[in-house]
Amino acid sequence: MLRYLLGRLLTAVPTLLLVSFGVFVLIRLVPGDPIVVMLGDTADPETVRALREAYGLDRPLLAQYGLWLLRAAGGDLGQSITNGAEVLPLILSRFEVSAIIVVIAVALAALIAVPLGMIAAWRQNSATDVVVIAVATLLLSVPSFWLGLLLLLAFGLKLGWVPVIGYVPFAEDWALALAYIALPVATLVLVEIGVLTRMARASTVEVLRLEYIAHARAKGASELSVLARHALPNAFAPTWTLIGLVLGNLLGGIAVVETVFTLPGLGRLLVDAIFARDYPLIQGCLLFTAVVYVLVNLVVDLCYPLFDPRVATE
Amino acid sequence: MRKIGLLAVCASAAIGVALAGEAVRAETIRVAVNADIRSTYPGVNRDSNTDAVMHHIVEGLVAFTSDGSVAPSLAEKVETPDGGKTWVFTLRDGVTFHNGEPVTAEDVLFIWDKYLDEATKWRCYKDFAEGNAAVESIEKEDDRTVVFTLKQPSALFLGLMARIDCAAGAIVHEDSFAADGSWSAPIGTGPYKIGEWRQGEFIELEKFAGYKPRPEPRDGYAGARIAEADKVRFVVIPDGAATKAALLSGSIDVYPDISVNDVEEFKASQGVKVGIADTMNLSGILMQTTDPLLGKVKLREAIAHAIDTAGLVQVLTLGTAKPNNSPIPVVSAYHGKLQSALFSYDPERARKLAAEAGYKGETIKMLTTKRYQTAFDVAVIAQAMAKQAGINIELEVLEWATLLDKYLAGDYQMMSFLYSARLDPSLSFDMFSGPKAEQPRKVWDNPEAQALIEQSMRIADKGERETIFNRLEEMFRADVPMLVLYNGPDIAAYSDKLVGYEAWMAGTPRLWGVSTGK
Repeated sequence: MLRYLLGRLLTAVPTLLLVSFGVFVLIRLVPGDPIVVMLGDTADPETVRALREAYGLDRPLLAQYGLWLLRAAGGDLGQSITNGAEVLPLILSRFEVSAIIVVIAVALAALIAVPLGMIAAWRQNSATDVVVIAVATLLLSVPSFWLGLLLLLAFGLKLGWVPVIGYVPFAEDWALALAYIALPVATLVLVEIGVLTRMARASTVEVLRLEYIAHARAKGASELSVLARHALPNAFAPTWTLIGLVLGNLLGGIAVVETVFTLPGLGRLLVDAIFARDYPLIQGCLLFTAVVYVLVNLVVDLCYPLFDPRVATE
Repeated sequence: MRKIGLLAVCASAAIGVALAGEAVRAETIRVAVNADIRSTYPGVNRDSNTDAVMHHIVEGLVAFTSDGSVAPSLAEKVETPDGGKTWVFTLRDGVTFHNGEPVTAEDVLFIWDKYLDEATKWRCYKDFAEGNAAVESIEKEDDRTVVFTLKQPSALFLGLMARIDCAAGAIVHEDSFAADGSWSAPIGTGPYKIGEWRQGEFIELEKFAGYKPRPEPRDGYAGARIAEADKVRFVVIPDGAATKAALLSGSIDVYPDISVNDVEEFKASQGVKVGIADTMNLSGILMQTTDPLLGKVKLREAIAHAIDTAGLVQVLTLGTAKPNNSPIPVVSAYHGKLQSALFSYDPERARKLAAEAGYKGETIKMLTTKRYQTAFDVAVIAQAMAKQAGINIELEVLEWATLLDKYLAGDYQMMSFLYSARLDPSLSFDMFSGPKAEQPRKVWDNPEAQALIEQSMRIADKGERETIFNRLEEMFRADVPMLVLYNGPDIAAYSDKLVGYEAWMAGTPRLWGVSTGK
């Protein structure tokens, strides 16, 4: 197990190197300069030159990359050009906000979507199935910013049940924190329910067609037992993979939702960094996102044997 | 079912507690900003949001009033015994920093020594180190008197010193710096002192109980700047729709820079007031005079006559701004009859001028951005108007950083662009005048004009300056290197419970002299 774990982690190293180099080169290919953005319409060539020198942006690209990589290997992702803050602590503090919301939202979405998809599959082609598929497709098609704004206007502005903007850490005031994250979590839950329900339904439909399910029914097992004991473990594996991908994606930043609800999360940090051409921050955010993605998928893979013992044997 | 009921009760209780928490914070004035501040180092690592926040915390020797003139701030009086070469600042008595220490001439010398060190990267370093307000020496005459001696007389010295983006040369206590000389946190003399800064969320300022106001009433950044509220919180809300919802729901009190399209909606909303003020920002269309096509002055003139400035500005600002083809802003004391005249809207004349320039319908590319919606709208309307005169403009929409890059390199044919406020006509002309070979960003390359601009910076007499600016205006209109359209209005929406809030010429929120009405 440990060997497998180490093997997986080692295979991630070239991926992360490739990501780091790709990000480094691509962001510099994009027109725009952090110093020019900083100075705005008053930027004059002399000041720009002096500041580029001060921030080390005048060095050859490979030298800049090498230096950054060397430091990154030691856990130092440099300092933000925008505000001089250390990149790694900044990313970690913002990631905490995104992670809390994403983990709660994905867990809730999975808890709702998996049973819903299984029920739809169990009642395939019935009115229940049609309604579930229709709602799931609708939620899948709705852009998160639009849904977020609708929720914000309805529950924040019209009904006044929850605060409209802002964020309070759980450690500071858990009740207030709950109120603040209610709408962003609800938005993400609704958006992710669509895709997870469809996946859960599709995989359950496949499993319910298999002979061992017919065998279970022939033995007189109740429908609840057929679904929960026999169908769920096999049908859940593909959904679990999807949950891993969704989690990885969302942990990389929920920029749109964070922008609509004014959450100081990782996605907004990245978007702001891109607009400001804050190279160290962009590089740090994207490398961090890649690491999170790799780790989440590793954890998902390691959990497979819980649902399908054959994976452990293999 | 019972469990669901219990959950609902818990959730309601949690929300109730949360909203009660909100009520506790009601003594605070909450102002939206669309992005976080860059740092707390005034005039050094800054942008417009940073300037807006920091001007509540720090003060300079002088400050801008609401009509763009300069008045003493930390200084009690300013005198120039020799017509602009020597400037004597007498400090106000009894003013203290946020740490209780009195403000002395030593403090002025300390911070100006920092500002005049290139390594500090102060925004106005170039102006005071080598520009037209180059400082030769700064000396202390006594504890309350500081003498600035310039290398040459300058009419712009005080105006440059009061510059908002340079934090008015803020006088901060030496403990604002760490032992190693690096910036720590501002200990200023302003009506508010710095509180908690949660990056990406908010920065909170607290009332400075020891603030000593000037005797004059509040006037721009000058006059009495009395903190009425206990706290001011600048909340970072990047999304416009979310900011609107936040104001309407009472989650914030001030939305300082609303879109003109939202004015009527806010006016019709309960509990919200709208304030409008003319600013000195400038919106216009740049024309690259080194371009083979636009290098012909008749084609540039044709474009100026093809665009109905008055109509465009009316549509774009819904009557909240006045059309202006002059680089001198409408609110400036130097904006007279000559500056008020507009290029006549005459598509036929435009067509004729274009033909005389040898224009045969070639496509002219105009760059714009959606970062500032008005820049984009200007481009779209101008494109349609030019088409009526047979001038074929194609738009290319770029992200702001890319547009700035192109602007700096002079890499465009036409560009819809916005300039931040320059509070003196010399600076208004200077921002786009200069040799393109050395500074490609400059729009107007006319050595005679450049000499006049430099002359205007040395002369203090208003009449003489007016003559120079009128001559520059005529030359500018003859060369048409750009078509100035209007000075963008500052439109703010705010809670009707706020007492004393006003939009103003600089377009930044001012929270001194403002109370929650409680």
